Amino acid sequence: MPAPASASAAQSPVQVFDRRLLRHRRDRAAAGLADYDFLLTEVGERLADRLDDIRRRFPMALDLGCHHGALARCLNGRGGVERLIQTDLSPRMAAAAPSPALAADEEALPFAAGTFDAAFSLLSLHWVNDLPGTLLQLRHALKPDGLLLVAMLGGDTLHELRTALAEAEMDLEGGLSPRVSPFADVRDAGMLLQRAGFALPVVDRETLTVSYADAFRLMRDLRGMAAANAVAERRRGMTRRATLLAAATGYADRFADADGRIPATFEVLYLTAWAPHPEQPRPLRPGSAASRLADALGTEELSAGEKARPG
Amino acid sequence: MSRTVDPKLLEILVCPLTKSALRYDPDRQELVSERARLAYPIRDGIPIMLVDEARPLDEGEVEGEVGAPPDLAGGRNPGVDTGGRP
Repeated sequence: MPAPASASAAQSPVQVFDRRLLRHRRDRAAAGLADYDFLLTEVGERLADRLDDIRRRFPMALDLGCHHGALARCLNGRGGVERLIQTDLSPRMAAAAPSPALAADEEALPFAAGTFDAAFSLLSLHWVNDLPGTLLQLRHALKPDGLLLVAMLGGDTLHELRTALAEAEMDLEGGLSPRVSPFADVRDAGMLLQRAGFALPVVDRETLTVSYADAFRLMRDLRGMAAANAVAERRRGMTRRATLLAAATGYADRFADADGRIPATFEVLYLTAWAPHPEQPRPLRPGSAASRLADALGTEELSAGEKARPG
Repeated sequence: MSRTVDPKLLEILVCPLTKSALRYDPDRQELVSERARLAYPIRDGIPIMLVDEARPLDEGEVEGEVGAPPDLAGGRNPGVDTGGRP
């Protein structure tokens, strides 16, 4: 049956990530993920904190790319979420998540239009080839004025590992292959939200630094999280042992602290946006203000260019 | 089958390829997309909405009447392009 198989490929023209490999990795990591889920839990808590800041209730919500249900555990009814539908590309991950869960591809969402009050995603959307397509489908799946709240990894993620691997590879193999998956940056993400038709888009970033005994511990964690490189054009087969050893040594030489531990940077982008609705606030035209800011603040207005008097 | 599928979940699901409605087949534990001619399996109460896990429908299984797009009327071969895809 060639037609449907080729259809999913036709939907996303650029295949940066090998989604089949990613699914396989997530299937394999599902059973043991609880031992490696510190990053999911940490960022999940931060995502839930952001939801607490929004004075609205979201009874019907989606968690796209749910892993083993990390966000469901962090949310636990916060944000007025009564029902959290969870999906993962890996059927085994979906089975490990608390019900209701299903297996779905982030690039081909199986939801009727206008279903959700909110759509969340925790550390999954950086694996999507067609992020604009996914955002567009998410907007359709949201009710008008529905909330999109996403945490995904950004471009500074694992920059130490990237540097160490690149240097070792140049030295020992005389060439480079993409060893660490590429990520979006703040500007890309904001633009994509706007292009997908979301209103009031906001993107901000946070950097988490995790300390490791050595580079091998870090790489073991990445595998445990199913976060190892899934770039389609990666060099096939195992990285040469000598290259890995050189990379680990280089990582320590360059980045280790006084105790010999190495830092690993995770840059997290938080995307917040709303499905459009006619009654949403929008910026007024410049000069259309009806009252003065100085009056509201009970202060004296100073003309531009004048220095404020030290109070 | 230790878990059964949540009926409320079925209400919000559509075919990921065509975004058209699905028919629930409780005997086979499948969600059938007539338009894409695919049946998505439900395993242990978990709908598997992945195109490469779906079972292609046999010719006889496609119910050509209500809700079928007009381009299916002439196409008797289940292997042909399904049309209606985004």
